[in-house]
Amino acid sequence: MTEHDNPRRHVCGYRDRYADLPVAEFTGEGDPGKLPEAGSVAWRLSAEPYDAQEGAFAALFARFMEQVDTSAVRAIVVGGWENPYEVGSEVAIRPLADAAARFPALRAVFVGALQSEQCEISWIQQSDVTPLLEAYPRLERLEVRGGTGLEFNPVRHDALRTLRFESGGLPADVVRAVGQCDLPALEELDLWLGVENYGGNCSAADLDAIMSGERFPALRHLGLRDSEIQDEIAAAVASAPVIARLETLSLSMGTLTDLGAEALLSGQPLTHLHELDLHHHFLTEPMIKRIQDALPGVQVDLSEPEDPEDDWRYVAVDE
Amino acid sequence: MANTRFAVVGVPGGRRVDLFRAAAARAGLPDPNVISWRDVLAGDAPIPPGSAVRVDSPGEDAEVDALLRGPGDPARAGGGAAWYAAFRGGLRNLAEAVEASPGSALLGDVDEIAVMFDKRLCHERLRAAGVPVPPALQGPVGSYRELRELMTRDGWPRVFVKPAHGSSASGVIAFQALGARVKAVTSAALPDGWGTGTDGPGEAGRGRRGGAGGASLYNSLRVRTYESETDVAAVVGALAPDGLHVERWFPKASMDGRAFDLRVVVVAGAPTHVVVRVGRTPMTNLHLGGVRGDLGRVRERLGTAGWQGALDVCVRAADCFPGSLAIGVDLMIGTDWRSTAVAEVNAFGDLLPGLTGLPGGPGEGLDTYATQIAAVSGGWRQGMQSRDIRGEGELSCVT
Repeated sequence: MTEHDNPRRHVCGYRDRYADLPVAEFTGEGDPGKLPEAGSVAWRLSAEPYDAQEGAFAALFARFMEQVDTSAVRAIVVGGWENPYEVGSEVAIRPLADAAARFPALRAVFVGALQSEQCEISWIQQSDVTPLLEAYPRLERLEVRGGTGLEFNPVRHDALRTLRFESGGLPADVVRAVGQCDLPALEELDLWLGVENYGGNCSAADLDAIMSGERFPALRHLGLRDSEIQDEIAAAVASAPVIARLETLSLSMGTLTDLGAEALLSGQPLTHLHELDLHHHFLTEPMIKRIQDALPGVQVDLSEPEDPEDDWRYVAVDE
Repeated sequence: MANTRFAVVGVPGGRRVDLFRAAAARAGLPDPNVISWRDVLAGDAPIPPGSAVRVDSPGEDAEVDALLRGPGDPARAGGGAAWYAAFRGGLRNLAEAVEASPGSALLGDVDEIAVMFDKRLCHERLRAAGVPVPPALQGPVGSYRELRELMTRDGWPRVFVKPAHGSSASGVIAFQALGARVKAVTSAALPDGWGTGTDGPGEAGRGRRGGAGGASLYNSLRVRTYESETDVAAVVGALAPDGLHVERWFPKASMDGRAFDLRVVVVAGAPTHVVVRVGRTPMTNLHLGGVRGDLGRVRERLGTAGWQGALDVCVRAADCFPGSLAIGVDLMIGTDWRSTAVAEVNAFGDLLPGLTGLPGGPGEGLDTYATQIAAVSGGWRQGMQSRDIRGEGELSCVT
């Protein structure tokens, strides 16, 4: 009955589980003696997004460091900070980065785990999230929700295994910076590219470095999705060097039509994949059948079909 | 109340009236006298002596709507102030007719109904009684500019703008703004040729920008999104003259990624019928694409104490209207699954065909109408404190 932490789908709550740990909300209220063991949960820290005062997240984080054995904390889910509509996520990222010495066991961070009722994805004011990777060289998982105001700079990081950006519009600068990173341990890269109307201005060419895969030798899962240029991305994927070493590929949530699927099928073999996620698509029945016939050993997700005849095609998440 | 015969004020032949008549028939009671709203509004609706008078909605009838709002397209939005004035006149006529009828009594106090159809008064009554409600903008909101100024003053980036006298989410705008960036989600639609808004999924074509001048809105069964200030200002401007009530956005809990609220019908002080309304949009109303959700999952997630606490809020909301046999409370659960807030209290909120009541309660095995008939047969009278018939045992489980 819970909202499962399932990043392959777009219905994510991050409320119950994160990084294979149950999520525990730290409110700063109540008896500190009754808090769970620091390393047994993913800690969710969130200032009430509507009436929190300036500095509310920093104050909450300070209480967290007083009451919890930070040396054992493995995962942190940052929900909201004070007024995430107007105030950038630096008010959460800076204290977290500055306190890195207190968190030697921290391996997973999510920034902006807000449901759309709290703040719609493209209204979340993000900021430069690179300081988290610079401050935490042993971080294995970084996930960010919201593309507005988001910045990212090329880094080398030897431990990062999962990098995910959920957005309704991912800036091209961020996409290019990801491609310029050296991430030798990266196994999963997932980008929700979104739509131009919400700042998702990347072209297929901006994905070139990612498609080459040169800087991500360990990559096994790639998601390039929720895009309004999903067909172009599918065409680029068809000849992308990185595909040969993937186990799972997701081109879901976007405006994939027969055009993109045709390019995908006529490109390099995809039969080595374990999973191909195409859910939320605009494919015709004959094309769906062709894909299934061409990839007999691959688990292909073709759920959530949209109307291929519809003139107005939309991605799964923008707002 | 053996000699009581029910009467129902409504739209003859309408489904609400027919559902109530069917419930009376199943209870073995004589067919209720049906009193037409049209006659009530004309001041020509005598009440037979000895009637227990149920008051139901005047909606879903074009002729009655024209009497209330004045002539015009029934699908048009707005006109709420005129509607309310005429509706109150009808309620007064009704009260007088019942007064003049020996042995007759109302099952819905007309002054309470009037409060429930003014969202500003209703909000204030609930707030004063300590029932959790979202905070409301203070001060009249006469225009889009005033709305933005007050939102900035209070630091609220996201609000619900509600016509003071609307019902069924008519004209409600889920609005958020940051500088020039705005987004309004509403079932109020600008006419073709005006809007630049985008229709919902599956709708081909976007509206075109039209000529200058005021826009007349109409109610749509499709929720639209407007992202241009010009459009939003036109929508707000068209609704503002009839009165607006603006509440801060209360972030609702979600199930499977979709927000929901609860419609809780409280009959004679006891919460009897509950549906989960799950929305694809900020509006969860079933006629706007909302669907019924899984109450069992909601209860499980809330836990026993959380569930009882939620029901208790609804009972306390109903206690603000002791002269009303049944009300429908729209209860929001917060994203933390602990906080709650009442979004609306509906005088005619019992239209939940085929839904039987909560097991173990007075509505078990009965629909909302049969539950009310049973409460009256069991002795419910206007103004009675709900606990008189609810019993101490049920109160004790509420904290």
